[in-house]
Amino acid sequence: MANKPTAYNNRLGLKGWVYAGNYTFERYLYIGHRLSGLGLIAYMVLHIIETANRMRGEEAWAALMGLFASPVFKIVEYLLFAAAVFHAMNGVRLLLVELGFFLGKPQEPIFPYKSSVMKHRPLTYIIMLLAGLLMALGGSSLFFK
Amino acid sequence: MRETRLWSLHILVIPVIAVLLGMHFAVQHYAPVFYGMSVEKARDFATMIERGRSTAQFVVYILLLAAGLYHGLYGTRGIIRELPLSPAMAKVVDWGILTVGVLIFALGAYVTWWTFVHPGV
Repeated sequence: MANKPTAYNNRLGLKGWVYAGNYTFERYLYIGHRLSGLGLIAYMVLHIIETANRMRGEEAWAALMGLFASPVFKIVEYLLFAAAVFHAMNGVRLLLVELGFFLGKPQEPIFPYKSSVMKHRPLTYIIMLLAGLLMALGGSSLFFK
Repeated sequence: MRETRLWSLHILVIPVIAVLLGMHFAVQHYAPVFYGMSVEKARDFATMIERGRSTAQFVVYILLLAAGLYHGLYGTRGIIRELPLSPAMAKVVDWGILTVGVLIFALGAYVTWWTFVHPGV
């Protein structure tokens, strides 16, 4: 017997966060967008708590900054920067899709169906290439100076 | 209608975050590139206090705090609300996220204010 549909009848549950059938590149971007977003908000909360350390005085602040100067934190800082760049660039793509740009003109659904995803795909590649370029530039500024 | 408003605000704060976070990155993480100042100097206690005492910096950080927390916590709420939650549990999630947001904003705003009114080093 079929389940009675309800507002919260989501059969996939946790699995639904990472699995949604036969999707391709955009599906990975979707997962990446969520993971980077969760990472960034977790960092933001920690960052606000950590910067409150300044109220404990100059020595406490200097000790904290000394810790952040270590190579491990340099890598963490870069990963955060990369996550921010990826999230921002993919966000631009999502906004364009949401507003209906780069999807092609609406057509009658006649077989063989044309996918708007494929119309949009070149822009996806361009945006991701730009994101990669920004990440490389950001890394060069952080690590090689 | 309420959800549409919340979602619209989630989208509208994006340009605010982009500009203000860009400024934050430039000042704190890319000081050598944009200001010819070492990262260590940019994060030095005296420099940080001096910067934080300016009205512009105060306004920028309060706005970034509000916009960033709203965007991030609204997104987190959306992800959690996709789970098969009962209406009562969904309410708990909403109130929990709102409480975390208000508390973190209060702490961040207090630290920003503390720096703004600091007598200087």
